[in-house]
Order: sequence, then C-alpha cells, then structure tokens
Amino acid sequence: MLTLVGVGKRYGRGDWVLSDVDLQLPPAMVAAITGRNGSGKSTLLRMLVGVSRPSLGRITGRPDPVGYVPDRFPATERLSALAYLTHLGRVRGLTTAAARARAADLLDRLSLVGGPHTPLRLLSKGNVQKVALAQALLIRPALLVLDEPWSGLDATSHGVLAEIIAEVAAGGGTVVFTDHRESVTRANAAQVHLIEGGRLSRLSTLPSVAAAAMVLLSGNGNHSDTAAALPGVLATTTEDGLVRVEVAERQCDALLLAALRAGWSVREVRRTPAVAPVDSDGGEQT
Amino acid sequence: MIALVRYALAVMLHSQRYLAPVLLFLAVLAVFTSNDPGPVLPVYALAAAALFSCAAWLTMTLLNIEEPVQRAITAVSAGGSLRALLSWVCVAVLDCLVLSALALLFPWVDGHSVSGVELLVGVEALVTCALSGVAIGLVCSRLVIRRPGYALLTALGLVLLLVLVRGLPPVNPMFRLLAGTGRPAGLVTSAGALTGVAVLLLVLGVTVTQLVATRRD
Repeated sequence: MLTLVGVGKRYGRGDWVLSDVDLQLPPAMVAAITGRNGSGKSTLLRMLVGVSRPSLGRITGRPDPVGYVPDRFPATERLSALAYLTHLGRVRGLTTAAARARAADLLDRLSLVGGPHTPLRLLSKGNVQKVALAQALLIRPALLVLDEPWSGLDATSHGVLAEIIAEVAAGGGTVVFTDHRESVTRANAAQVHLIEGGRLSRLSTLPSVAAAAMVLLSGNGNHSDTAAALPGVLATTTEDGLVRVEVAERQCDALLLAALRAGWSVREVRRTPAVAPVDSDGGEQT
Repeated sequence: MIALVRYALAVMLHSQRYLAPVLLFLAVLAVFTSNDPGPVLPVYALAAAALFSCAAWLTMTLLNIEEPVQRAITAVSAGGSLRALLSWVCVAVLDCLVLSALALLFPWVDGHSVSGVELLVGVEALVTCALSGVAIGLVCSRLVIRRPGYALLTALGLVLLLVLVRGLPPVNPMFRLLAGTGRPAGLVTSAGALTGVAVLLLVLGVTVTQLVATRRD
C-alpha cells in the first residue's frame, strides 16, 4: 500500500510547500486531492510518482507500474502522437506492434482530433492532454496519478476519463487525481483530501456507489478522534458541538450499538442523499 | 534501455538541434585538416580538439531538448530518472562515435598514409576528447545549471581549462602526446591511460548531474 509518513517538501531553502503529510492509499482506492492554485497539489503528485523526493518523511510501498499524467504537457515535441506513444510503449516493455496497436486503441477511445500522425506540438491543448492521458495507460498502471485531468478535455472525453479511472480502480489499481471542483472530486473519488497551508486533511469519504448514513453524536467530550474508532466509520467531523459521523448504511446499526455502549448519546440519524449527479462539465457519475 | 535510446534518438532527430554542433565540427574538420601533407597524428589532435568542444555543446543541447514535464513522463515510464539520463548519455556518445569515425577516415581519404598504430592512437585521442566533452556537457545542462547564459560560460570555461592547463588529464596531455615527437607505438599505452581517465570523468559527470537533478526536483 502506498504510504506517506510525515512527508514534507520544500525547494532549496525556500518555504515549506507541504509539511506533515500522512496518507495511505490502498489498492483499488480512488482518491482526490483538492486545494487552491499553488497549494502544492502538483508537488504532492510528483512525489507520489517518484519524480520528486520528499525533503522530510518517507514514501513507501509505491505500486509498479506507475502512470503519470502531468498538468500541462509541453507542446514542443515534434514526434507525432502515435510515434510518441509507440516509443513510450516500447520503453514500458511492449513490442513495437503491441505498443502501436495499444496506442491506436487509446487514441481512438479518447477520440483524438487532428489525427494520430500530427506532430504533438500542432495539436490543440485538449488533444495534447489526451495523448498525455494515453501514455499513462499504455500498460495497465497499478498507480495512476492525474494532475487536473479534466481541464481542457471536452465533454465527451469527461465520460471516458471517468470510465478509465473506474476501470483502473476495479482492476486493483490506486488512482489519485487533483481537481478544484467539488462536484468532480465527489463524483469520482472515494476519498477527498484538501491541501491548505501546506497541510493535507481528509475531507470526507463518500463511496460513490454504496449509500451512506450520517449520525450525530454527543458525549465523550465530543472528541471526533474517539468517534473515529467506532466500527464502520468513514469520516468524522465536529459540527456545532456535536460529532458528525459518516458510516456506510449497512454498518449503521452496528455503529449505533457500539456508540451507545461506548457512552455516546445519539442525537440524530439521517440517510445522506445519494451523491448528486455532476453538473454538465463534470463528467458522468459511475 | 534500447527502447529508451531509440526514443531519445527519435526526439533528437526530430528536434534537429544536433545540427549546429555537428556542422561546426565537420567545418572545422574540413578547413583545418585538408591539404596537410605532414604526419597524421597532429591532424587527429586537431580533430580531437574540435570534437571535444562540439561534444560538450552537443550534449548540452541534447539534454535540453526535453522539457522538464516531458522528462518526468519519460522517467516514470522508464522506471527512474537515472535510466532516462543514461539514455541521453548513450545518444550523445553514439553521435560522438559517428563523428569520430568521420574524423578518422577523413585524413585517409585526403591522401595521408595511416598506419594501424596511428589509427589506434587516433581512436584513443578522439574517444578521450568525446567522453570528456560529454561529461562537461552533462554538468552544464539545464539539469545542473538553470540559466542558459551561466551554463554557456561554465561550459566555455571548463573546455578552456581542460585544453589549456598543462598536464591536467585527460585532454591536455593527450594533445601533447600527439604533438610530440615520440614514435606512435610508444604512445598507445599512455594514450589508453588517458582514455581511462576520460571514462572516469564521464562517470563523474553522470553522477554529479543525477545528484543535482534529483536534489532539485
């Protein structure tokens, strides 16, 4: 399992971009990282794929192979989309024929406009982004890391991207992506993390398929940490002096029983509405 | 690794940025070594000096073709940034070997008589200068020195240092060997030792470049 322990990063003697980041990313997990521009999302992703080394802390258990889709693919390359992908496929260990076929399949699926034989630097931003996505999928990645993958893609490709993310996760791969739109992160990720002031915090866990329930508890000093130890807890937050616990619906009874035994008082139990469909620019829900 | 080198070669050929240093080398070769009826070793010394500076320039250019983001993708695909760096070193050395072959053949086509021993010493001189030049190009690339102006000045300084400082191995002593009056047969071993030093210099250049580049990322 990809594990970050106490990871911090700064460039040279500059300010700390990230500090004290703890994160566990098990197989088949789709996690989203959100945060403002310049908050350190890309830096975290670069460390996840191993391009950049943490200044402090450790990253262990990185799955192999890794697929990395950067934020902005430079548009200086004169190789054609197909030639570039074929080369990278060979670098990944495919034969020329297999790499070429796989590249053509991916470009077809992502409906690259402008043709596979056009030099990369002549393609539009969205189409270059498709090539950047395709290169990460030439062989099925065990860790797929995507930096703002939705930006620049057209509406049709949004659906394909959501499908691809779901497929990789279904095959046991870990997927991490960044996006600043909540609708997108909630619809596609089971875990959402926020980077703010160089720190990473978990926002909530909303399984995109399983329904969830929300329980408001009081007592035990209202420590959300104590509540997090209850069975089946997906996320805890403190709200108006109460502890708000999110739990998978089928584990709700077990949680209530354990909570009452542990001395909590149950104030409210509510079924959280199913995750709302995403707005038109947010891709489709899976 | 072969796939990686093929990729780097393709990127190099499409970028066409190798042309300027290569053309400069060929021009120097043509101007300074033709119509010289004397012994062949001084001709090889001149060719090696030209190759030394052009190898440094070529290597800098090659390492600067890939944008940082593109290099990150290549490194992830290749399973490590060292492998990606080594593929570019291979391409630079391959290019220099082609140029060396031209430099070795040129005097022969031009009417010089070249003995086997002279050819061997010529190979040693050219390979020594090529590898030393690649080493300089590595540590003056964008991976180590970000600003192009400083990189160029550093490269120029290092080239001059290695050429001019008397007795500083491997480049300066090589020129002195070739310009000397010793019999070619006696030069093979000492020139070979200098080639060994050049190999070490290249290893040092790769190590420094990799360390600085990973530290900075």
